[in-house]
Amino acid sequence: MLEPLFRWLGGLPASKAISESLWIFPMIQAFHLVFLTILIGALLIVDLRLLGRGMIRQPLNQVARDAMPWVIFSLLGMILTGVPQLMSNWSREYQSEFFWQKMYFLAAALIFTFTVRLAVTRGSETGGTTMGQKVVAIVSIFLWFNVAVAGRLIGLFT
Amino acid sequence: MAEFFQPLRGLFEYVNELPTSIAIRESQYFSPYLTVSHVVVMALVAGLVLMMDLRLMGLANMRTPFTELQRRLFPWQMFGMTLAGITGLTLTFSDPMRFYANIFFWMKMLMLLLAALNAMAFHYTTYYSVGTWDAAPAPPIGAKLSGGISVVLWSMIILAGRLIPYNWFAN
Repeated sequence: MLEPLFRWLGGLPASKAISESLWIFPMIQAFHLVFLTILIGALLIVDLRLLGRGMIRQPLNQVARDAMPWVIFSLLGMILTGVPQLMSNWSREYQSEFFWQKMYFLAAALIFTFTVRLAVTRGSETGGTTMGQKVVAIVSIFLWFNVAVAGRLIGLFT
Repeated sequence: MAEFFQPLRGLFEYVNELPTSIAIRESQYFSPYLTVSHVVVMALVAGLVLMMDLRLMGLANMRTPFTELQRRLFPWQMFGMTLAGITGLTLTFSDPMRFYANIFFWMKMLMLLLAALNAMAFHYTTYYSVGTWDAAPAPPIGAKLSGGISVVLWSMIILAGRLIPYNWFAN
């Protein structure tokens, strides 16, 4: 369904420039991983808190608010380094099952993070957390874990 | 430079011929999934290390005192480091000659060593006065420097690690 869009992206002059260069694509891939690491850090610091394992002496909403700018920053970085990979490698990614699995999990993870998880981290309590909060943390870790794993598998099998 | 690595060459060549090393190397799925596991646990370690570094730089998590952040994240960083060490060593074990001849691999090892030295230097200097700046709105220059150096080193560890498959400088 999206093939025309992918094909158009792949046909852009910038896409050709990326594929023709020996080092641009690998460098983009490597920076994609740096942004992923920042994202995982900014998510985990809150998920651990939700599990009652991290910085439990701090109010939940304070930990979550402090982490949010870094979630946004790293997500922007991931898009900025993710789209060029798609541009220069569109047919391989289009045909990769792992790519689509990653996109489905990414959509679910984004929706979950900015709706349920955001609402649950609004409370200002300190100390132990409820079963509901722990479940939110586990779902968040599960969704983002699958985004990362499927993403890395695109390059290893296809 | 080559002489420096010479004693290691024998070890790498020896491991290269071990039956278990060959078995992992020749298996279709073990190596890729080992790589994926290494990436995931790396993100756990480096992600939480970077959160601590950004706190030291005064850029993130500023409403949490530094000691609280450090004490709560340290066990997770060590847990991740252990898993990253196991998966990383197994990866090296499974294809030692590939890594031996790879400049990015050795760059990554050097950066890891420097990151450890930087953390130790911080621990024995700026950390002594943590009581005076633990919850301060701006960390002292020593803390910002340690945090900044660590961010650069860990970013380079990740970049070099990801570039290992692209051995541009192989001869």
